[in-house]
Formats: sequence, structure tokens, C-alpha cells
Amino acid sequence: MAEIVLDKVTKKYPDGALAVSEVDITISDGEFIILVGPSGCGKSTTLNMVAGLEDISSGELRIDGKRVNEKAPKDRDIAMVFQSYALYPHMTVRENMAFPLRLAKVDDKTVNSKVDEAAKILDLTAHLERRPANLSGGQRQRVAMGRAIVRNPSAFLMDEPLSNLDAKLRGQMRTSVSKIQKQLGTTTLYVTHDQTEAMTLGDRVVVLRGGYVQQIGSPQFLYDNPANLFVAGFIGSPSMNFVPATLEEGSLRSALGTVALTDRVRRLVEAADAPREVIVGVRPEHFEDANLLDEAQKRGGTTFSAQVDVLESMGSEKYAHFTVEGDVATSAELAELAADSGSADVPGAGSAIVARLSAASSATEGQSVDVWFDADKVKVFDPANGKNLTYSE
Amino acid sequence: MVMGGAVTTGRKVRWGLVDILVLVFALVPVLWVISLSFKTKDTLTDGNFIPVSWTFQNYADIFATSEFLRALVNSIGIAIIATVIAVVLGTMAAYAIARLDFPGKQILVGLSLLIAMFPQVSLVTPLFNIERQLGLFDTWPGLILPYITFALPLSIYTLSAFFREIPWELEKAAKMDGATPAQAFRKVIAPLAAPGVFTTAILVFILCWNDFLFAISLTSTTASRTVPAALSFFTGSSQFEDPTGTISAAAVVITIPIIVFVLFFQRRIVAGLTSGAVKG
Repeated sequence: MAEIVLDKVTKKYPDGALAVSEVDITISDGEFIILVGPSGCGKSTTLNMVAGLEDISSGELRIDGKRVNEKAPKDRDIAMVFQSYALYPHMTVRENMAFPLRLAKVDDKTVNSKVDEAAKILDLTAHLERRPANLSGGQRQRVAMGRAIVRNPSAFLMDEPLSNLDAKLRGQMRTSVSKIQKQLGTTTLYVTHDQTEAMTLGDRVVVLRGGYVQQIGSPQFLYDNPANLFVAGFIGSPSMNFVPATLEEGSLRSALGTVALTDRVRRLVEAADAPREVIVGVRPEHFEDANLLDEAQKRGGTTFSAQVDVLESMGSEKYAHFTVEGDVATSAELAELAADSGSADVPGAGSAIVARLSAASSATEGQSVDVWFDADKVKVFDPANGKNLTYSE
Repeated sequence: MVMGGAVTTGRKVRWGLVDILVLVFALVPVLWVISLSFKTKDTLTDGNFIPVSWTFQNYADIFATSEFLRALVNSIGIAIIATVIAVVLGTMAAYAIARLDFPGKQILVGLSLLIAMFPQVSLVTPLFNIERQLGLFDTWPGLILPYITFALPLSIYTLSAFFREIPWELEKAAKMDGATPAQAFRKVIAPLAAPGVFTTAILVFILCWNDFLFAISLTSTTASRTVPAALSFFTGSSQFEDPTGTISAAAVVITIPIIVFVLFFQRRIVAGLTSGAVKG
């Protein structure tokens, strides 16, 4: 059990490349923290620095109040689960899991009882005498977890532990990782690029971009109050819709029509000293089929009509994809997000919008539909620096 | 099957024929030498593939003199010592080349390749003079040293290829599990590199065992003469006697250690030992 503090931790490579810049994170005892971001954002480097596999260029890493910058990995009492599992192929599952204990010179009886106990938690008892080569991907992943669990370390580090599993297994393992962490109550630092894992697993999420921390907070807080365009676009699936807009006289004019700002939003925007040209962001679930709403509800937002390109019916809800004419919202953050998700390569004019409509909606593909969205839920961003102008604690 | 196509009878026959052709090509000279070693002096030149009259006299003859036995001891001793040193040094060098980034790495790799390609013939005369000056001529170290020189590049190259195959994350995992760098090497990397080390050992041993050029040039007495060189000094009991039979017998005898060596280590060269370490 341990509290881990990263105090202005920085990683600078000899060639001058800055991988991680002044990261400040305080992980309290027993907390489950997720490091998330697109590839190359420095999340794995940060994890390796905590593990001791990479040197810290400047700043301080403290575990339980003690500086550990100079300590070797083995002296930090931290266990790590690797993306590739890194199981020892020449050892049986039992020996793989027992390896840390053997190195610690624990007596045979204790080793066996601890391994058996961990195997029971992970449902590996039947496979203890097999070798990693004869195991399935999910079983290998569990062995890697087991190797981390047996020695009862003060913290777990996990480097994208589920990314090599297929979608169904990943879902199951996600639940069991969460269960095991709660059961053991061990401080955990978990790296992923999968925002679903970030949302569902962590107590708090740290969003990284290019080596800089963008925002730290609970998943729900990050979802509701993103600090900037990057966090807004990264967290949430399907992601937030962005369109350029002009802010004048208390209303927002964009391809989605003109919205009168609610008092709450107007106060925030004024306090933030917003420029004229902004980017407006709307979450898919803040849209609704206008025909399903009564007049009173409609007054709280704006209605526009659009032609549905693709309609995905999930049974409980419908996702309507449509394109609105006009400029596409551009900013460095959005370009990076698009590059990471691959959507930068998808050609198309105008802004692609995804709206989550109620299952009762009569929208059909190729037909025009009246879409309403909630004016109080819009986010307004500064295109110059990506800052959320409607941010509130 | 990678090649594709069904295994038809025609295919089997064709491949069988090719296999037999290759085997015959490779084995007939060996079998011929074995056959010669069992022939009596009278039937030596009769041209029969299978000896008409069998005899073990040739084997008895070579072991009757101390000349051959002494050469055999020299061969085994020199080859094993050179192999052990070359493989141990090669393992360390290869690990460094595969894992570490140090200044001059490319130069080191290039230099060792250069040495491997250097024509040995051109080195014989200088080495002869140097070794006489240093008093190394006609001694075990006098042969072990040049063998190591030429075996090292070979072992560094083969071993660094093996080390590159071992996922680096295994070492990181061992460190996280509480191993010191030495423990990580001993308990995780070394067992996985074992097949590579044994393969290299076989190659280096054969290289040293088969050498004739250095053996004939840098030795003068039975003190350090190895079997390939000693064979060329074989004569019959009189000047006019044909030593073919005894040379054949000696050739068969010195082939045996190589076969034993390969068979012994072959079991350890298990392909795919690293499978299952990482995903895939």
C-alpha cells in the first residue's frame, strides 16, 4: 500500500526530445489512476519512470514520502504487467508466478500457498503446470496479472494490459481487473489508449498530450467538464461534435443554426473573455429528434434540419450521422485527435455530426429530419489555444 | 504447408528422389573412407565398395603408436579450450551488441566482420614469425589464440542474432520482479539463449577441429600437433608401404567426436523455445 507522488517529473532524451514535461500527479493509497492519451503522448514513458525502467531527467518521484528516483526497480516494491505479458517461456505457469517470490528467497511452502491463492483468484489452478506457449491470450494475460499479485506489492503498474485481447475478452478482463484491484485495494497506475477503459476502470483519469498533462479528474468530471478541446474530443464515444461558430450578442451562430446562450453559459463565456470566432462542441446525446419533444422542451435549445446519411439503430437508441455545410472546425488539438483515430484520412466536405436519438425517432436514412439540441449543454472552445470557455468546476 | 499443394504420391516420389540424390552425394565419400579403413592392405586398391575381407588392423595400428593418440589429445584439448573461450567472450560481446548502445558499436561489428573475412593464408607467415619470437610456436596457446581470433567473429554474429530474438520486455519484467541485472541474465536471458549458445559452440568447435592450415604451420612436434596435421605425417611401417588404410581409419576416428558433439547438443537446440513469451 503506498501513496505515489510525481513532482514535476520530466523526461528529456539525450537528443533533446521532450517526452514528458513536468508531470504532477498525486496518487493516494489504494487509488486506481488511468493514464490516457494518443500514442506518443508520453504515458508509457511516465509509467516506465515510475517503474524505474527509465531514468527521471528532472523532478522527483516519491513513494510513501520517500524519494525513489535513484532506486533500482527491484527496490521500489512495485509490480508491473506488460502489454506483451512478458512471461518467461522456459518456466511453467507456477514458476512464472513464483519467480518474484523465489528472487525474494521466500520459503517453498509460502511460495506454493501464495501461488495457489493467486491462481484461485485468477482461475488458473488447472493451468499451473503448463507453459505459456500452450496458453490462450486471455490465460497468458491472467498469468501476467498473477505474477504481479503474488508478491503483494505496494503498487501495480499496468501498461496497456488488455490491448492484445479480442474485444469480448477485453470486456471481461476489464471487469475482472477492476474487481481484483478493489479486492486487493492496491494503488494502481494503468496506462491505456482506450478511452472506454479510461472511463470505466479508473477512480481518476489523467489525460496526456505530447508529454503535458491536460486534465486530471474523475471520468465523469472529465466527460462533463473537459478543460480543453483535446480532452473533450478524446473522452467519450462517439466523440463530441465540433463546428466553428461566431459569438455575438449572446448567441452562437453556426452551421447548426443560431443558439441563444442560456444565462449560465453566457456568464461563463463572458468571464472567460471569449473571442468572436469560437468552436462549439455538442455531445451526441444532447441532440434529440425535434418531433418527439413538446414546445416547452424545445424552447431550451435550437432546432435545425439535416439529411441523415447513415442511421445506426442500436435497439435502445439510434445514432444518426449527418453532414452540415460550412467550414470544418480546425485546431491543433482536433488535428491530432483525427490523426490518432485515423479519421484524418476520411475525405468529406463539411462537418460530420453524430447525434444520439431516441429509439422512438422516425428518422430514416436519406430523409431530412428536424434535430434539436440542448443550448445549456453546449461547450464553447477558443480555437487559438483549445481552452474550454464554458469550463466550470 | 507453406509451399501449398496436396501431398500426392507423385510429389512424394519426386521429393524422395531428390532427398536420395542429396544423401548419396554427401555420404558416398564418407562411406568410401569408412570402407577403406576396414580393408586389408592387399584389397585396398580392389575398387570394391564393400570390403571383401574385413579387418580392424588399421584401427589397431593407429592406436598402437603414441603419435596418433597424442594428436587426438591435442585436438580435443585445443578445440575445447578455444571453443569455451570464444563462446564465453562471444556471449558477452553479442549481448552488449544486441542490447546496449555504446560508442563505437558499429566499428566493433564491422571490425569483427573484417576479421572473419580476412584470408587466413596471408596470416600464416607473420604468425609463424611472431609465435617463434614469443615462444608460442608449437605450443597449445600458439594454436588456441589464432583459433579464438577467427572463431570470435563467428560466435559474436551468431549469438547476437539469437539475443536479438529474445524480447527485451522479459528482462524488464525480471527487473520488476526483483532481479538484479546479473540475476535477470542468469535466470531469464541465459536459459533462453542456450540454444543459440550451443549452436555457436558446435560451429566454433567444428571450425577449430577441422583446421589444417594453422595446425600444420604453427606446430613442429607431437607436443601440439593436432590430428588433421598429424594425418599428413602418417607413413607405413616402411617407406614403401601405402598408409591409405591407416589414414582412413584415423579420419573415421576424428569424425566421431564431431558426430557425438552434434548429436549431444542437437537435443538442446529446440526451435521455438521462446514462443509463448509474448503475444502471438
